[in-house]
Amino acid sequence: MGNPYAIEMVHITKRFPGIIANDDVTLQLRHGEIHALLGENGAGKSTLMSVLFGLYQAEEGEIRKDGKKVTINNPNDANDLGIGMVHQHFKLVQCFTVLDNIILGVETTKHGILQKDEARKKVMALSEKYGLKVDPDAKIEDITVGMQQRTEILKMLYRDNDILIFDEPTAVLTPQEIEELMQIMKNLKKEGKSILFISHKLNEIMEVADRCTVLRRGKCVGTVNIADTNEQELSRMMVGRDVQLVAQKAPAKPGETVLDVRGMTVASNRHKNNAVKHVSFEVHAGEIVCVAGIDGNGQTELVYGLTGLAPVSDGSITLCGNDITHAPIRKRAAEMSHIPEDRQKHGLVLDYSLEDNLVLQRYWQPEFTKGGFLRRPAIRSYANRLIKEYDIRSGQGPATIVRSMSGGNQQKAIIARELDREHKLLVAVQPTRGLDVGAIEFIHKQLIAERDAGTAVLLISLELEEVMNVSDRILVMYEGEIVGELDPKKTTTEELGLYMAGAKRQEAGR
Amino acid sequence: MKEKKSILTNGLFQSIVSAIICILLGLLVGYLVLLAINPAGAGKAIQAIVKNYLNYPTKMAQMKYLGNTLVKTAPLLMCALSINFCYKVGLFNIGAAGQYVVGIGACLYGALALKWSWLPCMLLALAAGALWGLIVGLLKAYRNVNEVISGIMLNWIGLYLVNTLLSNVKESTSPYTYALGKTNKAAMLPGGGLPAVFSNNGYVTIAIPLSIIIAVLIDILLTKTKFGYELRATGFNKEAARYAGMNEKRNLIMTLVIGGALAGLGAAFYYLSGYEQWEVTTSSVPGMGFNGIAATFLGGLNPIGTIFASYFLQHIMSGGSYLDKNIYPSQIADLITAIIIYLCGFVLFMKTVMNRMAASKNEKKLRRTGAESKKGGEKA
Amino acid sequence: MILLIQYTLIFAAILSLVALGGCFSEHSGVINLGLEGVMVMGALGGALTMKSLGSAPSAVIVIVTILVAALSGLAYTLLLAFACINLKADQTLVGTALNILATAAATVIVKAINMSEDSSNVSSTVVYTKANHALTTKIGGFSFNWFVAVAILALILAYVILYKTRFGLRLMACGENPQAADSVGINVFKMRWCGVLISGVLGGIGGIAYITAGVSQWKFETGVAGWGFLALAVMIFGQWKPLNIGLAALLFGFFRALSSVYSGIGWLAAMKIPSTIYVMLPYIISLIVLAFTSKNSRAPKAEGIPYDKSTR
Repeated sequence: MGNPYAIEMVHITKRFPGIIANDDVTLQLRHGEIHALLGENGAGKSTLMSVLFGLYQAEEGEIRKDGKKVTINNPNDANDLGIGMVHQHFKLVQCFTVLDNIILGVETTKHGILQKDEARKKVMALSEKYGLKVDPDAKIEDITVGMQQRTEILKMLYRDNDILIFDEPTAVLTPQEIEELMQIMKNLKKEGKSILFISHKLNEIMEVADRCTVLRRGKCVGTVNIADTNEQELSRMMVGRDVQLVAQKAPAKPGETVLDVRGMTVASNRHKNNAVKHVSFEVHAGEIVCVAGIDGNGQTELVYGLTGLAPVSDGSITLCGNDITHAPIRKRAAEMSHIPEDRQKHGLVLDYSLEDNLVLQRYWQPEFTKGGFLRRPAIRSYANRLIKEYDIRSGQGPATIVRSMSGGNQQKAIIARELDREHKLLVAVQPTRGLDVGAIEFIHKQLIAERDAGTAVLLISLELEEVMNVSDRILVMYEGEIVGELDPKKTTTEELGLYMAGAKRQEAGR
Repeated sequence: MKEKKSILTNGLFQSIVSAIICILLGLLVGYLVLLAINPAGAGKAIQAIVKNYLNYPTKMAQMKYLGNTLVKTAPLLMCALSINFCYKVGLFNIGAAGQYVVGIGACLYGALALKWSWLPCMLLALAAGALWGLIVGLLKAYRNVNEVISGIMLNWIGLYLVNTLLSNVKESTSPYTYALGKTNKAAMLPGGGLPAVFSNNGYVTIAIPLSIIIAVLIDILLTKTKFGYELRATGFNKEAARYAGMNEKRNLIMTLVIGGALAGLGAAFYYLSGYEQWEVTTSSVPGMGFNGIAATFLGGLNPIGTIFASYFLQHIMSGGSYLDKNIYPSQIADLITAIIIYLCGFVLFMKTVMNRMAASKNEKKLRRTGAESKKGGEKA
Repeated sequence: MILLIQYTLIFAAILSLVALGGCFSEHSGVINLGLEGVMVMGALGGALTMKSLGSAPSAVIVIVTILVAALSGLAYTLLLAFACINLKADQTLVGTALNILATAAATVIVKAINMSEDSSNVSSTVVYTKANHALTTKIGGFSFNWFVAVAILALILAYVILYKTRFGLRLMACGENPQAADSVGINVFKMRWCGVLISGVLGGIGGIAYITAGVSQWKFETGVAGWGFLALAVMIFGQWKPLNIGLAALLFGFFRALSSVYSGIGWLAAMKIPSTIYVMLPYIISLIVLAFTSKNSRAPKAEGIPYDKSTR
């Protein structure tokens, strides 16, 4: 057992029709190290992990465990080799308890009846040992995201896995929870576990990892020792060029009030409490106001209330001087553009053509409809114009079914549609989610151009960097309330994090 | 990059091929059942089913019985359109069967009890069907009730109501309603010169061309109009429809109302031809609405395709009556229809297979050209 | 009054058996809208068995009939499982097809059998008069139907299996989050097959219980009058939980029983409500119940969605 590597993926090549997702990638994880896997969206990280878990078979290359070649045909094989993974989207059964989720798949039974006592003891012991606080009898749907993640980690430990993979584990956590997670990872390493940490957040990698392998467009760019590198170099390796980490923008020149929200309250459809509680704020023409916060603190419902997707139970919303508190969606849309949080759920009809999606907010206007009939030629030429202006790439131009387009181009289509129509207010919810650096730059530029053209922009974002870079004013949301208003030029990420975690709040003099 | 696309990926081609596969497999199973019951006559029997009116030797008789098949095709097509229309909006209108039944009750009550003429009777049937659809729509939109289950419940409620209602206009000596032709001639749908074409078959009425026109109109409504754009958007993605300011609840209800109206109208198209009288002791919901499901899916969920599919299915079902009743139960035709519906569930799978075939063909081509340019490529 | 209780119990037993079938299928993630057809097939298998067993010992009749009915239902759901699980067909369409197919097939089969026995008999009726008495036993003036015992047993078993066993835990995981189940090495396809096949067994038993409740012959052209769907309504009302399903079934069974016995209950008969109303009552009640319970239903989250490995 002189082999230093716990698991090795050597010269892995995996092709899909049209693209090579992994091209001769080599990744070697040493015993007891934290190894980061860095790459943009679409760089091939998930494909590589799917190969490791036997979801895909690589065309070339091999996987070795302790130096011996192994074949992995399905996740069970991976589990037998001691490989476990915390997925980005947790694989938990919402209506089961923490304990049931942990034992699922490896239950102990006696005469066919489940025996949970021993399992409970083992889980408590593990939770003690690694500082993973959970309530084994709580249902997943009732606990915080952080606790759900700890459940996922316990799942791996319960199975005695010694190779642990964390897939973008910090995306859903508060800065303080991220700190805790980093500590947990270090504890795990101390106990001899080998950890693969998939991320695109450079500062986290710098803090916790020993080595880092960088992927770009399916190819392995290299593996570096964290001690010998810095964030700039890593980002250059990841993107392939120097990146403008900070968006360029002139100071804002706020004009008249466009959106005025007073005491807005929105009920939650997940629990009995209100998701948004008496929130008040204003957005002016020519400024970007960013609502920051951890996912699930009422931002979604705030937007639903503003845009009319959910009823407002109390308070008022005034847009350009008109009360729209209870106005139907279409009336609001006359002056409000909305880039929705979930482009596939709300933003697009995936089975419609690109042109039909581009007129989704305007098909009823005289320009596109006459006497109840759609004016196809007008729709086609309008679509062609937007496709050209916003550089939307697709297989068959305006007739392409949107489902077949890439995520980045789907998002561009929504942005083109929402920016091209008349609006005084732009509500953009996580507009860069899941996009690569190039697309993010494009979208940030568009938002700033909108602002400079005098639009009021309300940006809802979970990405701290985006919040700090793009906004002119930050509102922090915590448990349905706005707990602070910050100036991005005068605040720090740490302070922002404290507000987001509810550890700090400005008293409402507002 | 204007590459010629493989015919395999063409939607129309795929739908037609899948439909033909379903039909052939359905007939094959039917044949096997016939074989199992009595091997000697099976070949003849399946021929009799497929030939339908062509079983008659003379052209005169053939036209007359073709007319009968068409008379039954009209209501089937209407039920199929009802289901098709709702399916485009993401609703499975199994309640079409009940909407059809209340349509029967309404038009016959109008004709036999109220002595109305055909047009108001027809409209009454349409309204009754629409009302039945409305209930399903309201329950779905406001109470989130699964439309399949509420549809089934309403089918039975409708059946019992119609039985009760039409007991008032039934012949004293039989469980059947009065014959339309004898009681109220004005309620008979006009023939519009069609009976002459079909060897003086008086049951052939304007219902047949009307149903085809309605199919075309439904197609235009769905693909060319603003309303159709909204409805299909709602069907594909309810959330996106809401986001775009469409009133998805109203659209959903409207869809079921229109679907119900179509099925109700179908009932009038059939029962106002006088071809059949209603039996007030009927103990199961008429199969017309259910067979409409088969026609819809067999027609590739396209209103125009549904015209052909409806005719074909009715052709087979009418053909069932030419079986030798001393050897074979005539329900074998129903069995074939049911199997075709079941097989329609595999259409998606068949299309996937065709796409995969096209893709692998393409890939082979790509690999070949790639290998040539690269010289000495990799493993085959 | 005894008659009312008797009928309530037997109708509730039928509904809970079939509803439990639906419950297992849906907990595995497959909506079985074909239960109506499964009932018909179970009824066919059971009725033919009873006809051929004739005057065999009661215990033999009861056990063999139930076994054959269960097997018939199980065999029939193979069609649903294969189409919906392996080929990812539309569950609503396939379920509906199976309902239509069952009635057509049962009619053809029964007619073919009748015709082969007596060429002038073209009815779709199976007569099982002789064996029918075996299904009930007299306890004083109360005639106890064995299917009531079977239903109670099924309810208890369902509770234990779903909540206390490894199988139940895994089954429900597949209906709630198949991706999660798959990620811990559970074979989602296999579990769904199990769920659907169990629904076939229970639906089949429910079918024979339905047609034998009080009559000694059955005309297969009529099917089972929407009872497969009533059972689904019971399941929804029972919120996919076995014990609640039992209670919901009692309620529905009571209303159905009323329509059979109301004329014998003085004050009800005196109200002169048309008999049609009583016949429609279970359907109307189920519509009302659904209207009030569907809004916040706790249906298994992944039900109705074919599991596709590539969506992990």
